[in-house]
Amino acid sequence: MNHNRQSNDGKHDDDSALSDFLASLMDYTPTIPDELVEHYLAKSGFQCPDVRLIRLVAVATQKFVAEVANDALQHCKARQAAVVKDKREKQQKDKRLILTMDDLSKSLLEYGVNVKQQEYFADSPLTGIDPATRDEVRIMLLLC
Amino acid sequence: MNNGCLENRKKEHDNSQKRPKSYKFGSKSDDFALAIAKVAVAQLCESVGFQGFHLSALETLSDISVRYIYSIGKTANLSANLAGRVEGNVFDIIHGLEDLGSNLGFSGASDVDRCVVSSGVVKDITHFVGVSDFIPFAYDVPGFPVVKESTKTGSFWEKGEDPPGEHIPSWLPAFPDPETYATRLSVENETMGVSNGKKTESELERVERNMDRSLLNLQLRFAHNENKGGSSHGSGYVATESNPYFAAPLHVGEKEVSSVVLPTKLSNEVALRNPVHVDVGNHVSVLETFAPAIEAMKSGLCDSDNVKKKLLYDQRPTVRFKIGIGKKSLGTMSDLNSQNEEDLLKIASWFGNDNEKDDKKRRVEKILKESVESSKE
Repeated sequence: MNHNRQSNDGKHDDDSALSDFLASLMDYTPTIPDELVEHYLAKSGFQCPDVRLIRLVAVATQKFVAEVANDALQHCKARQAAVVKDKREKQQKDKRLILTMDDLSKSLLEYGVNVKQQEYFADSPLTGIDPATRDEVRIMLLLC
Repeated sequence: MNNGCLENRKKEHDNSQKRPKSYKFGSKSDDFALAIAKVAVAQLCESVGFQGFHLSALETLSDISVRYIYSIGKTANLSANLAGRVEGNVFDIIHGLEDLGSNLGFSGASDVDRCVVSSGVVKDITHFVGVSDFIPFAYDVPGFPVVKESTKTGSFWEKGEDPPGEHIPSWLPAFPDPETYATRLSVENETMGVSNGKKTESELERVERNMDRSLLNLQLRFAHNENKGGSSHGSGYVATESNPYFAAPLHVGEKEVSSVVLPTKLSNEVALRNPVHVDVGNHVSVLETFAPAIEAMKSGLCDSDNVKKKLLYDQRPTVRFKIGIGKKSLGTMSDLNSQNEEDLLKIASWFGNDNEKDDKKRRVEKILKESVESSKE
């Protein structure tokens, strides 16, 4: 009995916390615009006339993106710190932090998103061979 | 990408050129939303501390964030439907968020008896809102997608007419005025009565009339659409209000369709180049709009490069029926060829009367001289 009463009070607190939070969302405008979120929610079939829920989704997405970007930033800084040990000049040059596919794929991997890229692209089978052997190979291919 | 002080760099081996795009998030209709997402994501990354991006990385991250929104919506819709509701709820959204956050984990995920209201996901978000800075979106976003106004079908009900006969429902489009098809019937009766031996000719005429009619309709439809949309693409192209059904039926070699008002520059060029029809002022008949096609054929025979070049760069006919016109005018082409020199000389004399634009006159005379010389060769 006591336990039930306590849990009921707890639920009321949680309810009020949630409703307060939703109310506070109207003051905080998320970076992701409402129209964009509405568009994609409509695309997925989710109908809702309540603006607060759209703000909630927008804030959740913002949090997700911020976390991914943060992790990528950590990777980028770690890489620069590793390089600095070799040359001091690079430290002054590479103060700019740039979001690369490498860092992004590493941080997304922790979130369960697998983004893999080709390491290099070759136009033809002869790419990357030195010119002398390339001519030989080309002649061989022509003769065949 | 314009986003304040951020710069975008593109490495050579980034596969940003050709990607097999899935229809949901890569189709052309989604470009606008994706662009907005790119700007928002770029702003967020800037706030985190990045000073630049690779374009491919930015595109990937914005695509993923868009899919995140989409999957939240999908899960929320699913849970709402399971509960027998059509509209979503805050609890549905929290369910969706928990689903997405389940592989990374949130506080209280392992509790069996937990209530959605006290979910760890919401607490995380609350904390995030309290901590993060307020970054407004850089641009003003209009509501999209824009809903098109449905075009009126011209039904009986809309026109306020009573449909002739009870078997015709009022939502069907109204009949055209009876005068329009009455005259046509009489003409056809005449041809039927006269031509028993001339069957082939009447058939030809009928075929040509059908072609003319379809041409007419198409051009009218273009003019109608341009009138409705008010597009700047066709600015200056205005169809005069004449009922085509009242016009006399067309004969071989003649084409009179509702005139089109061209902008003065274009109309002058067209008037200059057409050897058969000359209209004073801005009105141009259909034959003039097909003038480039006719000219192209002529120039193909005459070998004048200047005319070709001018045609390619300056002229924009409203309706392209090059094949049809080609077939038709082949009969008349041979006639034109013999009169070519005379016509071109005629044009030169005509422009002696034109007082307005001297530069264009001089240019035209140059072109004509060149084409005359080349035809002589």
